[in-house]
Amino acid sequence: MADDEFRQQALRHIDALYNLAVYLTRNGSEAEDLVQETYARALRFSHRFEPGTYMRAWMFQILRNTFLTFYRLREREPALSEAGVPDGEDPMFHHAPAEDGETAGAHMDLERALGRIPEEFRTPLLLAEVEGLSLEEVARIMDCPVGTVKSRIFRAKERLRALLTDYGGKN
Amino acid sequence: MTPDIDGNEPDEIARLLRERLPRHQAPTRLRASVGEALDPPRRGRPSLWLAPALSALATAMVMLLWLAPALPRSSPDQLQRLSRAVVSEYARAVFADEVNPGAVPASLPRIMRESGVLLQWVFTGDADITLVNAQLAYLEGGRALALTYQDRAGHSVSYIITRAPNVAIPDRERVQIARWRPAVRTEDGFSLIVWKQAGLVCVMVSDLVSDADLGRFKEYFIKVRSSTELSDSY
Repeated sequence: MADDEFRQQALRHIDALYNLAVYLTRNGSEAEDLVQETYARALRFSHRFEPGTYMRAWMFQILRNTFLTFYRLREREPALSEAGVPDGEDPMFHHAPAEDGETAGAHMDLERALGRIPEEFRTPLLLAEVEGLSLEEVARIMDCPVGTVKSRIFRAKERLRALLTDYGGKN
Repeated sequence: MTPDIDGNEPDEIARLLRERLPRHQAPTRLRASVGEALDPPRRGRPSLWLAPALSALATAMVMLLWLAPALPRSSPDQLQRLSRAVVSEYARAVFADEVNPGAVPASLPRIMRESGVLLQWVFTGDADITLVNAQLAYLEGGRALALTYQDRAGHSVSYIITRAPNVAIPDRERVQIARWRPAVRTEDGFSLIVWKQAGLVCVMVSDLVSDADLGRFKEYFIKVRSSTELSDSY
């Protein structure tokens, strides 16, 4: 594939990549860093992209691998996320202005619940149900068999359902 | 309100995700920076006039080097001016020994308002380094937000955030630290780490200058950088 064509195609997926990055990192600035790093790597390894295959899935795969490489390391350092950052109730944490009314509440619960699902389950769920990728593509991105993907998506939905029910009960 | 999940069909969750989960659009600045990275300057076919032009350019450069000592010195660049201002602010804070950790939570909202810098997340410290002060600072006539940390050995580290749209961070000074590439420089015997985040210029400054100390300074940078989210749209 010619360089120009590669670049044009790659840029088309920036919104989808950023959206997934936000749900992986749960932090806008880090999501931007992650997407930038993803494109840098995609460009570096563009010769490995097989023309005729689905570029979107290939880019998602790079994004996820980048996320795992850098963020898994950080998750092993509890001081950064637990002692270092105040929790959501702290007055020093300022939420971005939310939409008003019921829709905003629903979004927050859904996002909050999604954030509590482990990455191995969250990513296939988002890729399949939000991004509309096929199970085979998700399996390739996750580097696991299709059966595992199906099972993870099912379990992710069950977990999400339970969490949403919990939030509903508390309100 | 909680989304309606009364039905037992797992696809109800899929519908909720598709219909109610907000989709985040890539910010314009991200689109621009990715577009730039993907579209490097094009190299055209060498033209017939290229060789003589290069030869003339080389001659001009030799002449320039010959005359360089006699030419007037240029003024320091924007980054250097900002670095000097940051070091002055840091030295002032260290000499004044401004340490007041108890007052930080109460004063931070006012300082954010006055500086115009909004911290959505802030790193308050851990076992190695502690946030001890937050204050409004002035750099080059502009307002800035300054956070001061102290490590266990008593070294002060200031983290200063300001609007400085004209400041460019040269590629030659950038080094890879974890997954970021900030500029690392020294100014008047102090170490500085400079980067841009959310359209703002961020500088960390410290007296940690030896090789071993610089490693520690970079660790502090990782902690602050990864746990702070900010914007200029207060």
